[in-house]
Amino acid sequence: MNKYTITCLIIFILLGPFLFPNATITEMLIFGIVAISTNIMLGYTGMLSFGQALFFGTSAYISGLILLAGFPIFLAIPIATLGSFLISLFVGYFCVKREGLYFICLTFAFNQMFYFIAYVWTEVTGGEDGLVGITRPEFIDTQFSFYVFISILFLTSLYLMYKIITSPLGLIFKLIRENPSRAEAIGYNVRFFKLVSFSIASTFTGLAGSLYVLIHSMVPIDQIHWLKSGDIIFMTLFGGVGNFLGPLIGVVGYIWLSDTFSIIWARWPLIMGVIFAIIVLYFRGGVSELLENLVKKCQFYFKKNKDEKYIKN
Amino acid sequence: MKNILKINNLSKNFGNVSAVNNVNLEVEVGSIHSVIGPNGAGKSTFFNMISGVLPPSSGKVYYKNNDITGFESYKLPHMGIAKCFQITNVFPKLSVRENVWSSVFSCAQKSKFDFFKPLSNFKYVAEETEKIISDVGLSHKINDKAEELSHGQQRMLEMAITLGAKPELLLLDEPTQGLAPEATLEMTKLIQKLSKKYTILLIEHKMHIVMEISKVITVLNFGEVIDEGTPSEVKESKKVQDAYLGRG
Repeated sequence: MNKYTITCLIIFILLGPFLFPNATITEMLIFGIVAISTNIMLGYTGMLSFGQALFFGTSAYISGLILLAGFPIFLAIPIATLGSFLISLFVGYFCVKREGLYFICLTFAFNQMFYFIAYVWTEVTGGEDGLVGITRPEFIDTQFSFYVFISILFLTSLYLMYKIITSPLGLIFKLIRENPSRAEAIGYNVRFFKLVSFSIASTFTGLAGSLYVLIHSMVPIDQIHWLKSGDIIFMTLFGGVGNFLGPLIGVVGYIWLSDTFSIIWARWPLIMGVIFAIIVLYFRGGVSELLENLVKKCQFYFKKNKDEKYIKN
Repeated sequence: MKNILKINNLSKNFGNVSAVNNVNLEVEVGSIHSVIGPNGAGKSTFFNMISGVLPPSSGKVYYKNNDITGFESYKLPHMGIAKCFQITNVFPKLSVRENVWSSVFSCAQKSKFDFFKPLSNFKYVAEETEKIISDVGLSHKINDKAEELSHGQQRMLEMAITLGAKPELLLLDEPTQGLAPEATLEMTKLIQKLSKKYTILLIEHKMHIVMEISKVITVLNFGEVIDEGTPSEVKESKKVQDAYLGRG
């Protein structure tokens, strides 16, 4: 991350509450954590998981239940995050045994399994109605304090994830993406590091899930449905897997577009479909690559202008 | 004579087909030991069994008197065995520096916490990386992506990655495969230079390279050892000539 991207990020955090309604901007930050962590697995390690809603949803349920039981939020968030870490070790252990399509299918299968547990276990999860009646603690009762709380956690997660991808671990993830058999041959246990990547992504997704409860004071069951996993993949690809903050752009774009279009037209996913198709066909690096190219072109153009002036003088 | 690698009755069957049959071999410390044979002699299967890619059907592999039969391949570099592939096998989208760095790091890291420290913390890894890259003559390309290198340069990079693990025993699988004549010569020289520091087990198809540099040559045909000896002995051997001319 250079100083320009950091500046952009800070401006976004500061201006966000003025541009979007409180529920929207907090949702953007929460899904920002989800998409960026998913990108560690998808973009850096090259593993496409269709089961990230499993961790998001499960963690939301755990956090919601702890809050409903009357325990403080400082207990709910760590326990829910730890919970999704442990589940990710269990689920991941089986998933990383397979590669490619079979890996995707396994993550998908686990997602469906957890969804139906939530669906059937009505006395605990509220079944189809979701988990309702959760109250936000007093200290984050106002919109402002809630936003500050979420942004602190957002920036902390970002910092930690950035540390991870710039450590040797991040390099090993790239090795696995580029050439798993060679990575094995130079002494890295590929299956183990795939599990590490899977767990890191899932744990941060879980952290985000535990925060999601606080926005609408409830856990709707569709947060654990596989369609949500699809949304997560969509947001990540939409923003671009090529760089660290790319997925965040995807999240902001996706949530903003869906909020705007869903008011105008009930069939708005149709437009999203068209946009997604265009991105996948023509901008493989997502919106972030598009922006990067634009910046490069502008720089080139201005430089050319300067050179011409210089020649004329 | 001190052995670094000892292979006892190694066999591999694929169903009813026996690809390698009761091969015995001893690699002396500090030598270049070559395994040659015509196409389909079982050289690659043999190589894959030693390097942990294929589990043998029977037989044992000892490295410094430790049984390493059927070890997963990621464990071998940590013991001092590194391998170089027949096909170019690098990390295409990463820079030359990153390619070699990760290999050096793999065997240099001491605790699991090393994985989480900033990359700049590992000065000795960075120095070692630059030294190895300059040894194979790629210093001017150090920040280029591996996919941007020419084929010959990629083979050199491949070698650099292998050396990054600081091995004692090098397993080379047809390192001159698909190289232009000049590059072949360069690779042969490099192998000769390397043999001063490392013990080398070389799997080769091209006779003339092997004859020039090896100390001992083992000849495989139809998965069995048909001859073993110094280059001049092997050259004279009737059996070897027959095998190569297809009369075996």
